[in-house]
Amino acid sequence: MSSSTSLRLWALDETLPLLHTSVALAAGSSADPEGREGTTRLLLRMMRRTAGGRSARVSDELLEGLGSGLTGEVGRSVAALHGTVIRRNAEPFLAFLADAIARPKFDQEELARMKAEGLADLDELLDDDAALVRRAFEHRFYRGHPGARPSSGTRASLRLIETADLARHHERLVRSGSLIFAFAGSGDQTNLDGFAGALDVALPTGPSADLPLPHAPPPEPVSDAGRVLYFVDKPERTQTQILMGCLGAHPLDEDHAALHVAHTIFGGTFGARLSQEVRAKRGWSYGAYSALPVDRFRQPMTMWTFPKAEDAAACVRLVLELFEALIERGVTKREVSLARKYLKNSHVFAVDTPAKRVGLALDAEIFGLPRNHHEEFLAQALSVDKDAIDTALRRRLSPERLLITVVGTHGEIGSDLEKSIPRLTQSEVVPFDRDI
Amino acid sequence: MNAERLAALSDPAAPFGRIEFVEQIPFGQKLVLDRYRLQNGLSILILVDRSAPVIAYHTWFRVGSRHEKPGKTGLAHLLEHLMFVEFEGLPGGAFDAKMEELGADNNASTWLDFTQYQEAFPKAHLPIVVELEATRMAKLLLSPDLVESEKEVVMNERRYRVDDDVEGRLEELLWASAFEQHTYHHPTIGWMPDIEAFTAADCEAFYRTYYAPNNASLILVGDLDPAKALRLLSRNYGHIPPAELPLEDVFPEPIQAAQRRHEIELPTATDKVALAFKGPALGDFDHVACSVLTEVLAGSRSSRLFRKLISDLGVAAEVRASVGPHRDPSLIEIFVSMRQGQSGEAGLALVQDELERLRREAVAPSEIERAVARSELSLLGSLETADGKASTIGFHECLSGQPNDAFARLSAMRRVQPSDVLRVARRYLRLDASTLILGRPSSATSEASEAAS
Repeated sequence: MSSSTSLRLWALDETLPLLHTSVALAAGSSADPEGREGTTRLLLRMMRRTAGGRSARVSDELLEGLGSGLTGEVGRSVAALHGTVIRRNAEPFLAFLADAIARPKFDQEELARMKAEGLADLDELLDDDAALVRRAFEHRFYRGHPGARPSSGTRASLRLIETADLARHHERLVRSGSLIFAFAGSGDQTNLDGFAGALDVALPTGPSADLPLPHAPPPEPVSDAGRVLYFVDKPERTQTQILMGCLGAHPLDEDHAALHVAHTIFGGTFGARLSQEVRAKRGWSYGAYSALPVDRFRQPMTMWTFPKAEDAAACVRLVLELFEALIERGVTKREVSLARKYLKNSHVFAVDTPAKRVGLALDAEIFGLPRNHHEEFLAQALSVDKDAIDTALRRRLSPERLLITVVGTHGEIGSDLEKSIPRLTQSEVVPFDRDI
Repeated sequence: MNAERLAALSDPAAPFGRIEFVEQIPFGQKLVLDRYRLQNGLSILILVDRSAPVIAYHTWFRVGSRHEKPGKTGLAHLLEHLMFVEFEGLPGGAFDAKMEELGADNNASTWLDFTQYQEAFPKAHLPIVVELEATRMAKLLLSPDLVESEKEVVMNERRYRVDDDVEGRLEELLWASAFEQHTYHHPTIGWMPDIEAFTAADCEAFYRTYYAPNNASLILVGDLDPAKALRLLSRNYGHIPPAELPLEDVFPEPIQAAQRRHEIELPTATDKVALAFKGPALGDFDHVACSVLTEVLAGSRSSRLFRKLISDLGVAAEVRASVGPHRDPSLIEIFVSMRQGQSGEAGLALVQDELERLRREAVAPSEIERAVARSELSLLGSLETADGKASTIGFHECLSGQPNDAFARLSAMRRVQPSDVLRVARRYLRLDASTLILGRPSSATSEASEAAS
């Protein structure tokens, strides 16, 4: 499973002639230098485009001609190059990947191109209200915390990033022993092991002085006291996007599994309370779901709906009431029984392909969890009872420390929305294209 | 499986339960599909795949928005929503609750030519899923209250996907402008006034007309015993009578003789260009060559429009091209989202230059090779799960009657020559018969912009 240098994870399987590779490290957007948000993402793009000193054009043609894909992922705590290649072309693909990791060229012209593309991506984001509400929520929720640093950067931060920043970041992050290799699907383990070993030899050894990996996770975010409305004002909206949330889960909490079952009951499925009350009974929103993500530091528990503008105030009030009822009155034994069955039976879809199996192992490594975390977590979720769930709900979630983010046309619904939120303590309106 | 064995698996109490073996069809290099048919015309395709202890179960009906009449658009899609709610013996919400209890990943979709329902679940639950799905095919209950509530959901879906969505609005106008006679004119989600006006009787009539076993194919993929599956299918579906399907009443689209052009204001920060040409049907050999053409044009980072508009000139944020995968001839679409300060007209002129080049010069063999390699990667990726295999099978079964067509298309793609791409470029990429939508930022959006102020 592991070596004395970088960690290797395997889920090899010859069912399909397809090899998946991931080369990951435990540093994501929260480790971007302050004021230069987006550095990690630009670094991964530069590595892919200029592998071994190639031009972006040559890299693109080579990867496409091999029947392969190579993309960068930047989460708050992870940066990874994920690749997929038709098995018969694995060897040249791995050679390219090694070049991307160990020998990128920090090219001025390519950086200018990437920055312009990044700025254009931020403009494109303005067309997508669902993405806009998520970005606004994260910005406001993590205000002043490293979690607020968007992986795509901001217009201001992208303009500041220079090739020297990328070279320095590469030097900090990409080091022998700091990488995690994950291989899934059709591949020869000896060859893949050799590939990882050769890379370890080629990279600088030992942790970097200014960002040893895995770096310590940031402190827990602190939410505002009271209920905060953060309204993203966008003209001509017939519909609103609403994302509400409060501090949620940490995967090392002893009651994390209990909280996960609570989320499943509240908004994790189509049959859950949120979807039934908002969509099935009232038809107010095409979707109504909650989310309880995890990372190396505490994440928010969120509730998402998107009603038409006229229903926004009533929908927010309803979701608030449902959330309050969940905390105050807890869950029912019948709901717990159904949720357990769902979690038990659906678990197979978390592990039904080699790529998913190795992905779970990779997540555990990145988040600093035990190797058997996934299995243990499921076992815990299947054993929690109503009392444990109700206790976890009251301990971890608070309807009184709640951020309510809305994308809509403020002049049309802002006032009604404010009135619909009991005990609202702050209300802030920002234009939809604010550089956040 | 021989006839005697099939007879033993057929439920004698079910009037249409006799199972007939139809054919064996290779699916890729290692797998084999078996096709059976019940006496009521229900097609059954079984692919045993033991790579995970799960089963994907898809029901594909050969009815989509193409079958709708003016004033009743969106009916196929609304019915798809209602097909999750209430049935004889299953009160409101019970269907979904049971599926969730089984851990099933449960969904559906409607498009121009089909409506499909799908679930994937742990293999032990096949008996109950067969029972639930057979109930869904024959025993839907539709009350006025339920239809009214679901109409609200669909209207909200329309606001989400179309009315408040920049690309959704462009796409809808593009198709409505390109098609005047054919039912591909109207959007699958339906026009808003039509959705508002639907009654339970409309939905009931559509259900009784099209949701019949002789208008459907079941696709079962996964770790299953075919004999046990067939016994269950005969018992549960063998009681459902076939329906007399109406004659399809679709008008072919007349040849487009002039460009149709619209300019609209949109709630966006940047100009958009949507350009469409009449293209071939999915079953036409030209469709494969057109797929190569759209890949070469805008399918990847090394494609011509990506390089020119995004990498080299930096005037666009996004480019896409595709050829519609539909039963009847549809559209070759090109979409460009410009960058701030770049005009749609300038982007259009650059696109036209590249289209002219495609009509003038043969593409390089290496461009075709990359397109084929990307398509192979995409096909392999779609086959990683049982659900992905079932989707691939169901789509081609429904559109062409050839459930392994995905492999045939890849083989055909490997045979495409530069001369084929040149020929289809000259045949289809005719600006004088195209449809063009230019989208510009609305004044309300520009005025509200902080960046502009």
